[in-house]
Amino acid sequence: MSLQPDDLLQTYLDDLLVIDASEAEPIKPVSSGEITDRKALSQKAATEDDKRLQLQKLLHSAKLQVAQVVDAPASEELETELTADTTKVLEASVAEVEESHPELNESALAVESLQQELAWSENGRPQWAQDVFEVLLFKVCGLTLAVPLITLGQITPLTDELTPLFGQADWFMGLQPTPSGKVRTVNTAKFVMPERYDSVFEQTAKYVISINGVPWGLAVDTVEQPIRLSPEDVKWRTERSQRPWLAGTVKEHMCALLDIPQMGGLLTRADKNAR
Amino acid sequence: MATNANQNINSDDPVLQWVTFRLDGETYGINVMQVQEVLRYSEIAPVPGAPAYVLGIINLRGNVVTVIDTRHRFALPAGEVTDNTRIVIIETDSHVIGILVDSVAEVVYLRQSEIEMAPNVGNEESAKFIQGVCHKNDELLILIELNKLLTNEEWAELDEI
Repeated sequence: MSLQPDDLLQTYLDDLLVIDASEAEPIKPVSSGEITDRKALSQKAATEDDKRLQLQKLLHSAKLQVAQVVDAPASEELETELTADTTKVLEASVAEVEESHPELNESALAVESLQQELAWSENGRPQWAQDVFEVLLFKVCGLTLAVPLITLGQITPLTDELTPLFGQADWFMGLQPTPSGKVRTVNTAKFVMPERYDSVFEQTAKYVISINGVPWGLAVDTVEQPIRLSPEDVKWRTERSQRPWLAGTVKEHMCALLDIPQMGGLLTRADKNAR
Repeated sequence: MATNANQNINSDDPVLQWVTFRLDGETYGINVMQVQEVLRYSEIAPVPGAPAYVLGIINLRGNVVTVIDTRHRFALPAGEVTDNTRIVIIETDSHVIGILVDSVAEVVYLRQSEIEMAPNVGNEESAKFIQGVCHKNDELLILIELNKLLTNEEWAELDEI
């Protein structure tokens, strides 16, 4: 009898499913005692595996530490050599630039000198306020503020040429062209007292007071005459971790005295392009 | 003075003097020993970057005094300045500050026994400043504990105004 292809395939598959009784081991019944022993053996094996794994990790860690200790002197030597080489190259470059552009060196020295002059001394007053000093009073949104004259650059009118830039901090008004270059103009009201800010300031601001040494300027409503103050006329702040741009209060005029170098530093740090 | 109520007339039931002031229709009292003086309202210069509870500063005979917005501190709605508005200069443990009030009423004498503990069941901001209450002349007098008017951090913050 000849088989059809479908029958042949079915027979083949059936043969695969059949277990050869001669090869298969008989299934023995297992007692509960044997099960307990097997479990104990299995747990013991697992514990030993864990210990072996921990030991391997410890050995690996120790090898790494030894390798680091061995490598360290070579690394330090290399770093020292590299630093020395870099310093030489930098010094040569600086000398070359200073020779070709002497004005840069003068400017850096002037900034350094100004920073020293504007630093606070141990008696809790800035260097510029050790004796009688002059401040300029100006108004921002009805608030009178004072800035030491020594820290100021120029006063220029705020014009329509003020160019806002998108993507800047909200207190950045724009670039104001002046005879000495573009001044990055700060919305002073928003910068120093955001909690009392009135947007009308953007229409009332008339002048930009530029800060000496940095390309920043403060937009203000009105500028008043400079006044002379003695250090005792000011209540100086002792702790300036918060609002570091506030140096103290001018007692007679009940107005805030700005620490312009601090403010300039904050503005410069806020300027991502300066980094 | 014989009527100095801060001296114990009866050691078991001392008499204390309280300066009373009005704020949003309520009468409050502060210990007279903590009141330095009462000023008519004068221009208060705002301080840039100051906390919301600070109205500003005034020049008190050459000294800078910080003025607290009492209504704000007591979570009361803002009020207008009138002819009766006063700045009460008070002295706490280590600070001299001014508090702006609607008006200053009078000085009252209260026996310790007349002061009742205020119920402490609310979670309102102003509740923690209340030292006690007292019914006087058919009116509830709320006695303020000035030292608790600000937290330690806020008192420290005032030094840097």
